[in-house]
Amino acid sequence: MNNINWRILSNHIILLLGVLFMSLPVWVAFSSSTHTAETILREGLQFWPGPTFIETYREAMFEAGGVMKSVLGVTMLKNSLILGIGFAVGKVIISMLAAYAIVYFRFRLATPLFWIIFLTLLLPLEVRIIPSYEIVAGLGLLDTNFGLIVPLIASATGTFFFRQFFKSIPDELLEAARLDGATPWRFFIDMLIPLSKTMIAAILIIMFVVGWNQYLWPLIMTTKEENYTLVIGIKQIYQILSDGGELPQYQKAFALTIMATLPPVLVVLFFQKWFVKGLVESEK
Amino acid sequence: MKRVQFEHSTIPYLFIAPQIAIIAIFFIWPAAQAIHQSFLLEDAFGLSSQFVWFRNYVDTIGDAAWLQAAWFTIIFSVLVTFLSLGIALLLAVKANEVIRGASAYKTTLMWAYAIAPPVAGLMGNLMFHPLIGDLYKFFNAIGWEFDHKLDSFDAGFVVVLIAVWKQVSVNFIFFLSGLQGISKAVNEAAMMDCKSPTRRFWTITFPLLAPTTFFLMVINITYAFFETFGIIDTTTGGSPGGSTNTLVYKVFQDGFRGADLGGSSAQSVVLMLIVLALTVIQFRFIERKVHY
Amino acid sequence: MKKLIMKTILAAGIAAVAIPASAKTELQWWHAMGGRLGEVVDEIAKNYNASQSEYEIIPTYKGGYEDTMTAGIAAFRAKQQPHVLQIFDAGAATIINAPGATIPVADLMAEHGKGFNSNDYIEGVRYFYADSAGKMIGMPFNSSTPLLYYNKDAFAAAGIANPPATWEEFEAIAPKLKAAGYTALAQSHSPWILSENFHSRHNIQLSTGNNGYDSTDVKILYNNDHMKMHWGKMKEWLDAGHYGFFGRAWGDNQDAFVQKKVAMWMGSSGSFGGLKKSTDFEFGTTFLPYWKSIIDEPKGTFIGGAALFAMSGKSDAEYKGVADFFAFMTNNENQVFWHKETGYVPITTAAYNMAKADGYYNESPDAEIGILQLSQPGGEWTKGYRLGYYVQIREVMYKKYDDILSGKSSVEKAFSEMESESNALLERFAATYK
Repeated sequence: MNNINWRILSNHIILLLGVLFMSLPVWVAFSSSTHTAETILREGLQFWPGPTFIETYREAMFEAGGVMKSVLGVTMLKNSLILGIGFAVGKVIISMLAAYAIVYFRFRLATPLFWIIFLTLLLPLEVRIIPSYEIVAGLGLLDTNFGLIVPLIASATGTFFFRQFFKSIPDELLEAARLDGATPWRFFIDMLIPLSKTMIAAILIIMFVVGWNQYLWPLIMTTKEENYTLVIGIKQIYQILSDGGELPQYQKAFALTIMATLPPVLVVLFFQKWFVKGLVESEK
Repeated sequence: MKRVQFEHSTIPYLFIAPQIAIIAIFFIWPAAQAIHQSFLLEDAFGLSSQFVWFRNYVDTIGDAAWLQAAWFTIIFSVLVTFLSLGIALLLAVKANEVIRGASAYKTTLMWAYAIAPPVAGLMGNLMFHPLIGDLYKFFNAIGWEFDHKLDSFDAGFVVVLIAVWKQVSVNFIFFLSGLQGISKAVNEAAMMDCKSPTRRFWTITFPLLAPTTFFLMVINITYAFFETFGIIDTTTGGSPGGSTNTLVYKVFQDGFRGADLGGSSAQSVVLMLIVLALTVIQFRFIERKVHY
Repeated sequence: MKKLIMKTILAAGIAAVAIPASAKTELQWWHAMGGRLGEVVDEIAKNYNASQSEYEIIPTYKGGYEDTMTAGIAAFRAKQQPHVLQIFDAGAATIINAPGATIPVADLMAEHGKGFNSNDYIEGVRYFYADSAGKMIGMPFNSSTPLLYYNKDAFAAAGIANPPATWEEFEAIAPKLKAAGYTALAQSHSPWILSENFHSRHNIQLSTGNNGYDSTDVKILYNNDHMKMHWGKMKEWLDAGHYGFFGRAWGDNQDAFVQKKVAMWMGSSGSFGGLKKSTDFEFGTTFLPYWKSIIDEPKGTFIGGAALFAMSGKSDAEYKGVADFFAFMTNNENQVFWHKETGYVPITTAAYNMAKADGYYNESPDAEIGILQLSQPGGEWTKGYRLGYYVQIREVMYKKYDDILSGKSSVEKAFSEMESESNALLERFAATYK
């Protein structure tokens, strides 16, 4: 009996340590954001929440911050939302269409096109970042939402998820549909999409998180402050905070950090079931 | 791949066109551009350029700074991969075993997936800040003269720690679902054969998890190579002395800060080749997995 | 492609039609001045636009110095460059060596009847953005120079009357400061202060080819005995607790001074505004120390910061506007305004005299120190430098200094490696322009 108790106890201890390891930094960030700058400078990071929650967050969201003092936390929040949602939706639509074509049609260029799409999986944006920047600049798309979102869709991850999923759908479905005289378009809309609902939800969630968390690409191609997303706006603001000259406003930095983390985390938490399913299904 | 398929000739092209168009403009064209530029020595403004064969490549690979970045990238990737895999595996196994509070544990260990690497980096940066950082004070208090601005080991430590922290969640999710995928029958049979849980784990569970593990290794290495850009940019920026530069960070520095297009393009192409090689290796392993 | 054709047609159309007097010509100005500096930039732009009705200058913040340069380069390659681009000291070689990327400011002003005499400009300002014949290519805009700040309270506590003028004096007083509980010294931006301006102050040649002005085929001369001696001393001082290194970030080292960890800090002449706000002690400003063993009569330093460049590819009518704007920027009132609001030095002697006559330096003597140092007699090697890939070379320097201070490398080895790596970079740069 003793053996079993020990084991269970140690399991819980390990798990608790794990939870602490993962959660403590964010908790401390949150707590510190609710104190004043002076407190933080005097005493260091805070563990227990303090008195200035509303004040700090109001300032961070609605008072013009940033380098040129022209960008609001809310603006950056909006930009991040546009990026996250735009990217997720765009990716799902385009990948579904492409995956549908690859799986359900026999056409001449199918194989070479498939390999081209596959190639993009191998080379992430970072290795072609500078020519991508030049091309987008040349097309006049810097500082635009289009230029921000579309180049990110150029990787085939979504197409692959849907390809695997479509391949797992039994052939009989298509046979029955053809017997009924269904056109490819009807089959897609009436049968395939409803079947893929869970998958679509999962991919939307995953891609929202991916889009929201984009760093290098938005960093390079937004040059005006009002186009900053939360993730890169934070970096610029941190830089000002540490550039000396004024009292470092760490509590605002932490507040922005929490704001940058909250939406994707909430999305992941609420849609946990679909999220995990999608993430894991994609592996198969 | 025997499949029932449509025979239309134009519709598939229409459907696949958007994806291909985007890939052509924003993937193939830049990649080709990078390759083209890697053979040129060009002034930043594009007003004079000469074809110099492989000079950029030679300059790159021979450059001590590049070699340092390559070396650090390797060590960094290995450390981050194994540490985050190890911690995640441990946590997943335990989370799978406990009954009480299982879903609470699972939830709290999962959500860190959603945090952006640069945000993790910024939080870590403040935790290690000489003026206000608790971690900084802690390490100094236990006798480790911690100074990540000056000491390259300490800087490397910070970057590895943050990168591992961020990645544990992803690995945890996959390991957990992998464990739950092992059928009950197998588990029960194993329990009858082998009383010791530890031995059960190593002889039965772990081998069954091999496909998941290999898959995760590839994901982790890609993460360490590329996505940690955000962490490095927001913490050490490659300091001290370039010792926490990864290869991708150096591409960014030379191309974007130093206006050396030929050099950074050559580095990009080399990076492409390295990733290609790693992927080929990956496929070899996945081939093996399919036959399990 | 379609966009390009459209733009060409549009541009041709505009060029073909005479610009009606009522429409203002827009001039795009890309800069890297953020925060308070950006506000002042906006105000100057507003004043200019209100002062006349022909041109409208539109300033846009593009990020830090490197980001602004990169944005300018990308725009130029896409034929969408601004009229005025701000380029910093490390980027000077890149933009000045690009054949035909800019119109030299001296030519621009002369052509549009604004008159231009480089002798109007303060000694330390004149040559950095000029060519080897002394013709100014870029218009110095935000110019500063390195200075020594010292904590007067700390000095009083340690019983020291005056800040050190020489490094020898520094060595003498450092132990006293240590006894009073202060690390004696910290500094920001070691390449700028302890390499480039070190050479200027001691009148030592920085690179071959006339410090790089004469050609791109040059070699760096940092690996000399004076530098090695000084950096050997820096390591000694670090180990003895007389020097503190707080990382590469400018702000971290400045913070150490503000937080009273160090008694002296070497920073920029433009830092005193921020220091006044953030320090709770009295501080003083003085010239950069020098080694009496190297030079008896130290020379002046040169400017850091950035300059404004007129990008090529615009119409004559637009250049008339750019010249007009430059003339506005360099008139005395605006120079003094910029100087007072930002702490950057006025670039013309006339503006400096005006500020003096105003009595500005009686209320704010710290503001004058930078100009005084820049006005000191120049020597052969105080003009500055013109070196390509200098951003990367500064990276090499930072790296080697890190190695020296952390003990990872000996001074000898670090400087020898710095020399070979920098020369490799310079060679690449030179090969680009053959």
